[in-house]
Amino acid sequence: MSHTPVYIICSPRPLVGKTLTARLLSEFLLLKNGTVNSFDINLKEPSLLEYLPKITETADVDNTYGKMQLMDRLIIDDGVAKVIDLGFHVFDEFFRMCDEIGFLKEAARRRIAPVILFMADTDRVSARGHEVLREQIPPANLVTIDNEWVVRGELPVAMSHGRLLHMAALPSFLKVYIDRLTFSFTDYLRNEKDSSTELHQWVRKNYLSFRELELSLILQKS
Amino acid sequence: MSKPVVIVVGADKGGVGKTTVSRTLLDYFSANSVPTRAFDTESPRGTLKRFHPDITEIVDMTTTSDQMKIFDTLNAVSPSVTVIDVRAGLLSPALASLRDIGFLDAAKSGQITFAVFHILGPSIASLDEIAETANFMQGAKYFLVKNFINDTQFFQWDQATYNSYFHRIKDATDLVIPKLNEMAYEQVEVASVPFLKFVANKGTQDEAANYSFVLRGYVRHWLANVWSEFDRIKLTDLVGAGKAPTRGGER
Repeated sequence: MSHTPVYIICSPRPLVGKTLTARLLSEFLLLKNGTVNSFDINLKEPSLLEYLPKITETADVDNTYGKMQLMDRLIIDDGVAKVIDLGFHVFDEFFRMCDEIGFLKEAARRRIAPVILFMADTDRVSARGHEVLREQIPPANLVTIDNEWVVRGELPVAMSHGRLLHMAALPSFLKVYIDRLTFSFTDYLRNEKDSSTELHQWVRKNYLSFRELELSLILQKS
Repeated sequence: MSKPVVIVVGADKGGVGKTTVSRTLLDYFSANSVPTRAFDTESPRGTLKRFHPDITEIVDMTTTSDQMKIFDTLNAVSPSVTVIDVRAGLLSPALASLRDIGFLDAAKSGQITFAVFHILGPSIASLDEIAETANFMQGAKYFLVKNFINDTQFFQWDQATYNSYFHRIKDATDLVIPKLNEMAYEQVEVASVPFLKFVANKGTQDEAANYSFVLRGYVRHWLANVWSEFDRIKLTDLVGAGKAPTRGGER
């Protein structure tokens, strides 16, 4: 039996595409598995809860009770993939807590596969955040998302050594289109007959990247 | 047979965490396979006994019969390490009693290993306690424990004043017990199990429990920090158990 994946999408910076990635990944997992549990710890930014209210719960890691509510769920091997949209304001606290309570070790013991998806940016705060993660997270569990909309082809060298997932930039008008609260990537794939559109290809390309990521996870754990 | 070891944990002030430190000591010895017995002087109902009922006996240290129960059996019983959790206000009188019965002389002559863990509070009164306790410390290993578990700030202390008291006792060593997350501490209290059992997710009878993974993680991390302090002062060497082995509870 394969491990239960827990995807943690994070950055110490706002507006780098965390919620967009969380939406894409949640919709992909829902399409593929029929079920996914998403957690929104991002209430100070555009919220995953507003986009995917049926599969998203809010969580708070500012206090111990909130941490228990979240982490005690994440550590259960129930076969349902989890997606965490981690707000920039709790980046330090969340990973400090993970380190302190031994999350990665316990996860390995309980057949949970945490994957940290770090949203790259070119500023110093992001560089420091990535460095913190490199020290704490094994390379196989750390994936840097090269979001072209944010990084503009200037991915810092230090972030380019480990596992990378490239996300192409969309033209502004399409970005506005997908940012609407009622927009669903899967519904778009299902309903748009013309598969040659830029958005169609963009969604399919990202779903394919997630599938490859998932496969590499299975191979790594087998 | 190894030399008997007596460890007294105490303070003249209440609420500074004496029993918490005693509990960490019992867990430490248990993890290092050092057979230990404990006496709880919070007669008639002891907190230490609630957490470690199998190895703890409640005694009234002011009575001769209970003093005999502790000290006359030092050479006779199999656990060679005895931990005594001395209730608030009783440290100085207890040490005076030990002097009177000749126990301190026995420690001085090397027949017994004697250690005192003096738990300090944030007030200046704690520094006066050091001065008072110093009179009894010849032949004993003396550890001054700054306990931050209940968020003590030690705000009243001036470092120079502290040092002047600290240096009155030859070979005194200070120890720091870090703060433990309040909710984690509370949950262990509610569970009434040793810290080690809480970390291992076990109940009072070793049955599987369902404690929060987060809280267990906090306790494990904290306990590892406390034990690293005990390793630093070479506590296992002090009790004659040799080098501290790798323990399951540590990361």
